Amino acid sequence: MKYFSLLIVLFSCLNLFAQPNCEAYKYNGDTLKYKACEKAMKIKGHYQFSKEYQTILDEAIEIDPTFDYAYWAKSIAYLKSGDFVTWKKLIDKAVEYNPKEHLGYRGWCRYQFFRDYKGAIKDIEKLDSLVDYDIGQSQNGTYHLNIAKGLCYKAIGEKKKAIEIIQKQIQLNEEEKFLGTYDYLHLGVLYFETEKFEKAIDLFQKQSKTNELAENQYYLSLAYRKLDKISQYEASLVKSKELYIQDKKMSDPYSNPMDKIYLENIENEIKQHTIMK
Amino acid sequence: MKKNFILLSILLFSILWSCQTEKKVPEKQEYLRWVGDIEQNDKVDTSDFKICNGDDNILQYFNLGKGPVYKDEKLKILHTFNSKYKSTRGSNENGLIRIRFIVNCEGKTGRFRVLQSDYNYQEKEFDKEIITQLLSITKEIEQWEVLYKNETPVDYYMYLIFKISDGQLTEILP
Repeated sequence: MKYFSLLIVLFSCLNLFAQPNCEAYKYNGDTLKYKACEKAMKIKGHYQFSKEYQTILDEAIEIDPTFDYAYWAKSIAYLKSGDFVTWKKLIDKAVEYNPKEHLGYRGWCRYQFFRDYKGAIKDIEKLDSLVDYDIGQSQNGTYHLNIAKGLCYKAIGEKKKAIEIIQKQIQLNEEEKFLGTYDYLHLGVLYFETEKFEKAIDLFQKQSKTNELAENQYYLSLAYRKLDKISQYEASLVKSKELYIQDKKMSDPYSNPMDKIYLENIENEIKQHTIMK
Repeated sequence: MKKNFILLSILLFSILWSCQTEKKVPEKQEYLRWVGDIEQNDKVDTSDFKICNGDDNILQYFNLGKGPVYKDEKLKILHTFNSKYKSTRGSNENGLIRIRFIVNCEGKTGRFRVLQSDYNYQEKEFDKEIITQLLSITKEIEQWEVLYKNETPVDYYMYLIFKISDGQLTEILP
């Protein structure tokens, strides 16, 4: 849980990190980009969706049509309103002019907003091939980009590959003491789905210690049931419902995370178990 | 004949001139209040749908910090579409369809708009049967979650994105 809090604090500052340093362009002798950057900074105080914000960025692009930041900043409102056509045109421009800066972001958004698994994999792998440093976290800080990539492989049916990727990244995250909020849970679910129930339980227990969730107890209960550990199955199922009602469940401001469950799933499982008794 | 020639010359000149000027002066994009705002269009929108707090105060669903919200959770929406949507047999239609609309302060919906693209995000037109079905099922959902700001019920934009593979509905977002 402490790592989760750390992530929240870190990524709430993301907007600060995302702002370009206009002076750096000036220092490097790129006067045009410096002027475009200075213009773009006037968006401060305007809402991403607003006419003013978009118009200022259009003017920045008019000054320097290769200024990647302006395309990226413009694209956000289109992304959040689900306009995948305009978003893609804008973010493609940002990627074209600064691939190292925007490929990871585009890949993540393809997954988070549009469940474009193959597109996300392609972008994340492309970024990985371009840089010799850690490719970093998703924009919202929930995952290391490799975990997101693993989830995309799972979604296209390559579960073995997904397990390898996620397992490897979790190991690195543990060494760095920088675990994602749902890392263990996702790996546990993958083990559960590939019928490695003991391993799955081990992962769910780890998730319980870092960030307990209704989903975690739900999948834990299913794993116990597979192993005929009925009392543990019942206890986890009850706990799952309690956690769900307390709002301790997977969430995302813009989408429903992979492996998320709903109250109806828990209640159906309880109902089914009651009938079978 | 001479008159026709002069007229034709004027026409050709004006076409060439308009092309040139279009290139020289790029058209500036006009924006509404917010990106994606949907104005009432009496030709397609019903008149009985009312915005409670005025068009200038319509929010986005995520502005209230609750994430994508659905009455009785998303699972109900999934059940609704899974039971009502009939995939077009033998169809090779693929891509994304977004239906965006406004939920008013009473949880009622209106001003539906459709956006369509292939999986490369290029705009395309799906088979009308697919669009008509998705649109009518969306419109049939009677009640959406009422969102509040400072205890006042608000109007907000919501959307559903449908992933279509070979005519089958494979995912619903967000």
